[in-house]
Amino acid sequence: VKEELSREELAGIVRDTVAQILPTVPYSAITPQVHTKELGADSVDRIEIIASLLDRFGVKEPMAAFSELPDLGALTDRLWELVTR
Amino acid sequence: VSGKSIGIEALNVYCGPARIGVPELFEGRGLDARRLGNLLMDARSVNLPIEDPVTNAVNAAAPIVAGLTPAERDRIQVLAVSTESGVDYSKSVTSYVHEHLGLSRNCRLLEVKQACYAATGAVQLAVGYLASAVAPGAKALVIGSDVALVDGRAEYAEPATGAGAAAMLLGDQPRVLRMDLGGFGLYSYETLDSARPAPTFDIADADLSLFTYLDCMAGAYRDYTSRVEAVDLRKTFDYLAMHTPFGGMVRAAHRKLMRDVAGATPAEAAADFQARVEPSLAYPRQVGNLCSASVYLALASLIEQVRPEQDARVGLFSYGSGCSSEFFSGVVPAGAAEVVKPLRIAEHLRNRVELSFGEYVGLLSENEKCLVPEPDRVMDVDRYADVALRGSQADRLLVYTGNKDYHRTYEWISAARGPGASREGEQRRDEH
Repeated sequence: VKEELSREELAGIVRDTVAQILPTVPYSAITPQVHTKELGADSVDRIEIIASLLDRFGVKEPMAAFSELPDLGALTDRLWELVTR
Repeated sequence: VSGKSIGIEALNVYCGPARIGVPELFEGRGLDARRLGNLLMDARSVNLPIEDPVTNAVNAAAPIVAGLTPAERDRIQVLAVSTESGVDYSKSVTSYVHEHLGLSRNCRLLEVKQACYAATGAVQLAVGYLASAVAPGAKALVIGSDVALVDGRAEYAEPATGAGAAAMLLGDQPRVLRMDLGGFGLYSYETLDSARPAPTFDIADADLSLFTYLDCMAGAYRDYTSRVEAVDLRKTFDYLAMHTPFGGMVRAAHRKLMRDVAGATPAEAAADFQARVEPSLAYPRQVGNLCSASVYLALASLIEQVRPEQDARVGLFSYGSGCSSEFFSGVVPAGAAEVVKPLRIAEHLRNRVELSFGEYVGLLSENEKCLVPEPDRVMDVDRYADVALRGSQADRLLVYTGNKDYHRTYEWISAARGPGASREGEQRRDEH
């Protein structure tokens, strides 16, 4: 799976996951430059977004490593780093 | 797992005489009501200015101590109060609590601190001590007690922050929770997710703290499974009770643990949450985060909601910022609910005085002075005594009356024979 996944596909999965957990947010608002706080996500939503993505990609990584990422682009970069290492 | 029978003999909570509804608090602060759904909170407990960590601890433990014979009371040889609301760098909260509970002088006194984990640390050290049988027949009293310092600056953490204490009497007649000796898992490391750097305010990184809670739960559970054979998250524990910063966090943590450890789908996790976890949230929803007492408020809730008719194994998780955590287990014996019932916890929570937002804001500005060291201070007891007694449903209640040369002073007040409260003054028992 890891070999077949492109960075663009991973970014799309991040975007879809955010959209699924924040169903009232317009899809067009979910951009790499935005933090989920700005989309109205609370801490529980952010837990669910990150936990879902780690589960989806089968990655074991402490949640605390994700607490200071500035935006969705940085989250995508971090996940890409983890799935390709 | 050892065959010795050690654990919690009696459990009580004291959650202040007042409360404010969380929807009312959201409205007063202008918070986004759409966030109520993930909070799973109905009300937060509020102390009065004549209360502090000492009175909360004493008012939680006094009904337990009152139910003991003098001989049993004198067997309490360890008194540990866990708090992140210390009143002095050297002198312990426990020294005041010991005095006003009228315990034996042949007793170890300790104040312990490790944020919201500390009560469990003290419980486990005491359980190990009691199980060692170096002091046959001894009992230990562990009390988690705190006051809240939050105000509007805490934003969404304010409605989730409670105040009060839980008292656990430990011994060899564990009619409330028989500990699984050796059934524990630990996970701790240094981080700054939340702290109380000064006596008037807290700091917190909400995301880091909640994410750290989840990492600790995973690590502590993994350590538990390395010490206990054939653990199955779905089958080993009849119920789960956790440190409850707010109910929604417990729901999220349970979902993550079930997904990671048991491969549960979201629907399976939701059904399991309802069956095994939700009974532990009934009281925390009405109180807010009780710091290190929180997991024991959750345990009391579980016991009184489920009222198990046969032995029920409970998995418990305790987490304290900074950080230290423990996943442990014990058995709630059939009949435990009958032991907890006379303490009338549900009635206490129901009878707290409902505050308007204006009254609440007025109290906060007074309450935040509670831990500030001042050589001399006189509290206006008469102003708050009626509310304190009415809202606490206690026949007698210890209140904080002020400071004299840095020595904190306390007084018992009791329900009056006529209108108004009576003050017992300095006529409290002095048999030691």
